[in-house]
Amino acid sequence: PVEGSGDANCVDEILKEMTQSWPPPLTAIHTPCKTEPSKFPFPTKESHPFPS
Amino acid sequence: VQSTEFSSTIEMPDYIVKYTALVSMDQRQSYKNDFNAEYDEYRLLHARVESITRRFTLLDGQCRKLTPGTKEYQKVQDDVLKEYKKMKQHSPSYHEEKQRCEYLHNKLAHIKRLISEFDQRRAQAWC
Repeated sequence: PVEGSGDANCVDEILKEMTQSWPPPLTAIHTPCKTEPSKFPFPTKESHPFPS
Repeated sequence: VQSTEFSSTIEMPDYIVKYTALVSMDQRQSYKNDFNAEYDEYRLLHARVESITRRFTLLDGQCRKLTPGTKEYQKVQDDVLKEYKKMKQHSPSYHEEKQRCEYLHNKLAHIKRLISEFDQRRAQAWC
């Protein structure tokens, strides 16, 4: 980390904090489709959407 | 996997304990109702955080294109500070809202996954 002016460091911190990746929103739950149940449209890979 | 004993409940979110694998259509409806009850709040918070994140990501992109030390660079840096102050003023609880939204996202994703798995199991049972 480069020691610059207080402002520059501050701006870097702000940008780092405020530009963390933000996943797209979850879609609503659909009613079960009795004729084509296999076409349920969402994949189940939302288990770790946020880097902690 | 269900267990009555949780040795490490410290990091366990409440919804993991509350919402377990579905076994009936009634339960599906009740899970779905719970999902819908918080979905609007989730979308609102999500959109708010998204728009703020987008603004800062744009500024960040501008910063990266410019050479440090130049007037243009300094201007964008000032814009970042201004934007941040503005954000603090308009959304003083931004961080709490973001945390709440992340919690809701994980919770709703969990419920949705359980419902989806239930529907898949039902679909397979019909084949």
